[in-house]
Amino acid sequence: MCFHFFGIRHHGPGCARSLCLALKELAPDLLLVEGPADAQEIVPLLNNPQMSPPVALIIYRKDQPRQASYYPLAVFSPEWQALRYALQHNIPTRFIDLPLALRLDSREPEEEAKEEAADPCSPSEEEPEAFEEIADDPLSLLSLAAGYQDHELWWEQQIEQRRNVQGIFEGLREAMRVLRGGRTPRHREEAQREAHMRQMLRQARSEGFQRIAVVCGAWHLPALEDLDAFSEVDDRALLQSLKPVSVVATWIPWSNDRLTYASGYGAGIAAPGWYELLWSAPAQAGIRWLIRAAELLRQEGFDVSSASVIEAVRLAEALAALRDVSAPGLAELQEAIQSVFCRGETAPMQLIEERLVTGSRMGKVPPETPVVPLQHDLEQQQRLLRLKPSTEFKELELDLRNETDRARSRLLHRLRLLGIPWGEPLAVAASKRGTFHECWKLQWQHEFVLLLIEANVWGNTLESAATSFAIREAEHCQELARLTELLDQVLLAQLPSAVAGLLDQIHARAALASDVRHLMDALPALARVARYGDVRGSDTQQVQTVVEAFFARILIALPSACLVPDEEAARELLASIQRLDSSILALADEEMYTAWCSLLERLSETEGLHPLLRGSFCRLLLDRQVLETARLSRLAHQQLSPAVSLEEAALWLEGLLAGRGQRLLAIDELWQALDGWLQELTAEQFLPLLPLLRRAFRGFSSAERRAMGEKVRYLYRPRPEQASSSAADLDEKRASLVLPILSQLLEVTLHAD
Amino acid sequence: MKKDSKQHIQQRATEPFVPTEGQQEQISTHAEGQSGNSVLRQHAEQQFAEELEELARADRQQRPPNWRLSPWAVRTYLLGGRLPNGFQVSPKYIGNARLIEIAISTLATDRALLLYGLPGTAKSWVSEHLAAAISGDSTLLIQGTAGTDESALRYGWNYARLLVEGPSPAALVASPLMTAMQTGKLARIEELTRISSEVQDTLITILSEKTLPIPELNREVQARKGFNVIATANNRDKGVNDLSSALMRRFNTVVLPLPQDIEEEVRIVERRVADLGQVLELPAEKPALEEIRRVVTIFRELREGKTLDGSLKLKIPSGTLSTAEAISVINNGLALAAYYGDGTLRAGDLAAGLTGAIVKDPVQDRIVWLEYLQTVMKERRSWQDLYRACREVV
Repeated sequence: MCFHFFGIRHHGPGCARSLCLALKELAPDLLLVEGPADAQEIVPLLNNPQMSPPVALIIYRKDQPRQASYYPLAVFSPEWQALRYALQHNIPTRFIDLPLALRLDSREPEEEAKEEAADPCSPSEEEPEAFEEIADDPLSLLSLAAGYQDHELWWEQQIEQRRNVQGIFEGLREAMRVLRGGRTPRHREEAQREAHMRQMLRQARSEGFQRIAVVCGAWHLPALEDLDAFSEVDDRALLQSLKPVSVVATWIPWSNDRLTYASGYGAGIAAPGWYELLWSAPAQAGIRWLIRAAELLRQEGFDVSSASVIEAVRLAEALAALRDVSAPGLAELQEAIQSVFCRGETAPMQLIEERLVTGSRMGKVPPETPVVPLQHDLEQQQRLLRLKPSTEFKELELDLRNETDRARSRLLHRLRLLGIPWGEPLAVAASKRGTFHECWKLQWQHEFVLLLIEANVWGNTLESAATSFAIREAEHCQELARLTELLDQVLLAQLPSAVAGLLDQIHARAALASDVRHLMDALPALARVARYGDVRGSDTQQVQTVVEAFFARILIALPSACLVPDEEAARELLASIQRLDSSILALADEEMYTAWCSLLERLSETEGLHPLLRGSFCRLLLDRQVLETARLSRLAHQQLSPAVSLEEAALWLEGLLAGRGQRLLAIDELWQALDGWLQELTAEQFLPLLPLLRRAFRGFSSAERRAMGEKVRYLYRPRPEQASSSAADLDEKRASLVLPILSQLLEVTLHAD
Repeated sequence: MKKDSKQHIQQRATEPFVPTEGQQEQISTHAEGQSGNSVLRQHAEQQFAEELEELARADRQQRPPNWRLSPWAVRTYLLGGRLPNGFQVSPKYIGNARLIEIAISTLATDRALLLYGLPGTAKSWVSEHLAAAISGDSTLLIQGTAGTDESALRYGWNYARLLVEGPSPAALVASPLMTAMQTGKLARIEELTRISSEVQDTLITILSEKTLPIPELNREVQARKGFNVIATANNRDKGVNDLSSALMRRFNTVVLPLPQDIEEEVRIVERRVADLGQVLELPAEKPALEEIRRVVTIFRELREGKTLDGSLKLKIPSGTLSTAEAISVINNGLALAAYYGDGTLRAGDLAAGLTGAIVKDPVQDRIVWLEYLQTVMKERRSWQDLYRACREVV
């Protein structure tokens, strides 16, 4: 018997350890691994010292990088360990699975997303597209038989945490043989894959290798072990119909969180961080885990003493005993952490979930790895859009009404979003201001290539990478303003599928925002998008909904937010209110406008608000022509009456006057009230007040100030129109002298009298 | 092991309680409880005496010193199950089994257990049953109040004797905690956070050194094996004394959650409202399930800070919004409907109660409630009556 089969499951430290031991014992002269045969060439890169897991083998169609398959490997993946072992001992290694070149052709491009989830390298028990119930999840059947509800837990306890690794492979093979029975493969592709593997096995045998180690998914064992039970002719016939396409295989860096189920990876695991620890320190995993958790919590300001760690260890062990398991597993440890370290609270557990259970490890690949698909995609687009990367400065002006320029802008924005600043936007020249001009400063830098390799983690094309990057950013972002900014960027980069997710995040953050100013500061960016959409033609309906929700919340919370403690806070709030006001104007939504005005009206009369705010509310109303003159003058008299302290009056005045002066000039009553107030001031009162008043008038242009001066000078004189209407002052004789010329100018005939 | 457990059972049969001074009365209650049903509420170990006995008989596993049952049997007692001989043990706690396992494991490692949670999440209930199953005695209880002083936790004196004899063991009046230490049983402290901080700290020595010094007699009480403390505390109440971190470190904390889903909570509210209605003899009709569901929905949504379908996040008001309060809102509405309405519970009868239960802080909670009305309730078409009624109140 020259074949030695090792049925495994992906990403399991227990499996990996058992495999390592078994390989050492066997000392094979050939290693066959269930991996696509077209990746054969890049296997040696694994031994490069700069390669650090988690990494993923990726194979993509040369002409369509969207079509790709990933094969992630972590340090605790059995395949990783097997390959490293073989490379270090100079044992020839072969990938025996059906080449992707033969498989990608039959797939529809739309299936891309799904394909990514269903890792073809995984043993079939995790492939989601199974027909039969057993094949769907053979493990759950086994674990149910063992009395477990959760097959993941069963696997962890039976396989991954096992210290005594004797006989694992025999046991697994036995189980799979029974489970699979005499069943034929579930679908054509599986039949083809198994046929190809058998062919590779036959070839290896005929080459005369003596001790061949075969590492493959446990599910395939029954189809491979009895090599001679299958006919070689049938297998060849099965493979004949397949047509190859041209593919590229390379390594890309991977991250721990993309190894999890939650990331949508079909063969994912629940706890990469925990598995890593189980791999590196199996005997003390529990204690080390608790110590790590304690360290993390200490960094975050919880007080966790060594005594607590001891208690947590004891609790975890008692729990394990109560549950009849040999050593505390992740569930017991987590419960002990929550109960002892976190005082039963769940919030710190999320931190542990994120930082320890998943872990933040990022893989690295050596620079000599072949071109990654993202790079490929970028090069394609650069060619298509005739944008050559050059290390020299170059200015680029884009007219967004034109298709190519729009695509260029989109490309640059997407790169910027991914943190690759090939282009920096420049301010558009004043003469070309408008929404359809964009100016860029382009400069390509060599390290962008590295950034691209890193960014490949997010996706294979610029679009998908930028989308997932933005969504992830949004999930980790706490500030509302940053989120809306991100939304702006995403709209510029035209990533429609990221928009919905982002809006959800914004919505959620807005609901929890306790400071209404954050809401108000975030609204303008949203309003801009909602109002002008953009020339790129993105859908702004969703944004409109969010704007409305924002506005409703602001209306409710603003009155209490206006109760500011001091002038400084009032000025800050005022700035936000003014920005909000102009956004509301820009939105031109009838209902919103009315609601806003009536709120302002109410607030302008509310006693107890800061006078500066009240004054400026009046001013905003005045600008909208909602405030009647009579009311204004009543308010002015009220505010400037002697009972009101002088500073308060001055602040109110400042709020009212700030801004442009034209409109104010028309309101006599205001000036009369103001004048009356000033007249009544004594010299002692006036002097300290002077700087305040100067500040109130500071904002006006000198022309405006002059006009105001004139206004006050003639305030109590009859108005010129009134003068002209009274005929008494008219010198008839002199007036009649100009009439003939006037009649000529106006081309009207003069009446005889 | 086998012999041991038999002995244990015999002991139980002849001598159900270790006869300490304070428990003479207890024994008589026990006898009465068995003969007639004259007590209003029986202790857990009386009410479920048969189950405990059956469990002890079937229990073959290792028991920690001085435990009446093994941890596995305690788990069965609390969570229910069928014994090998076919005897059915009723579940005492319905919910997350893992929490009960953590609680039992904590007690088995002789760490003190703190059951933490909102009012009405069965903290006292769990603590009583744990004590009944582990020590066969749930009566070593200290009720925490602002007036609980050190002597309630340590010991007091019989002053008549103290004056006559001077300090002597006979003049000492043991607290339930001291009794538990002497007999190796579980002591229960209810509402630990209501006890003032200075008094709380008395527990630190007891929990870490497991001894209680009595300087007056120049001796100390050393806890026997099996002694432990179960405390319960409320994590939402205001005006309580937070545990010092020194004390907190000596407890393992288990937070008992609120009812998991809305159906469970609706059932609890419905049953309690019906019970209370009978007691108070309210003439109103039984409330429509729909109204209960609406109130429970509002409470759950505000408590969790998001709508049930998870589509919208919400601000969380400062109040507790416990199930118990939902019950009282419904009851309140029923009374309004019965005495001032037409006997049927309507939106208008609920609005005031709802607003009162939610708006505890006139500024912040009002914003929360208004936002909820505007963004959630207004959008639900079939809720318009309640929306309008609430808007009128706010």
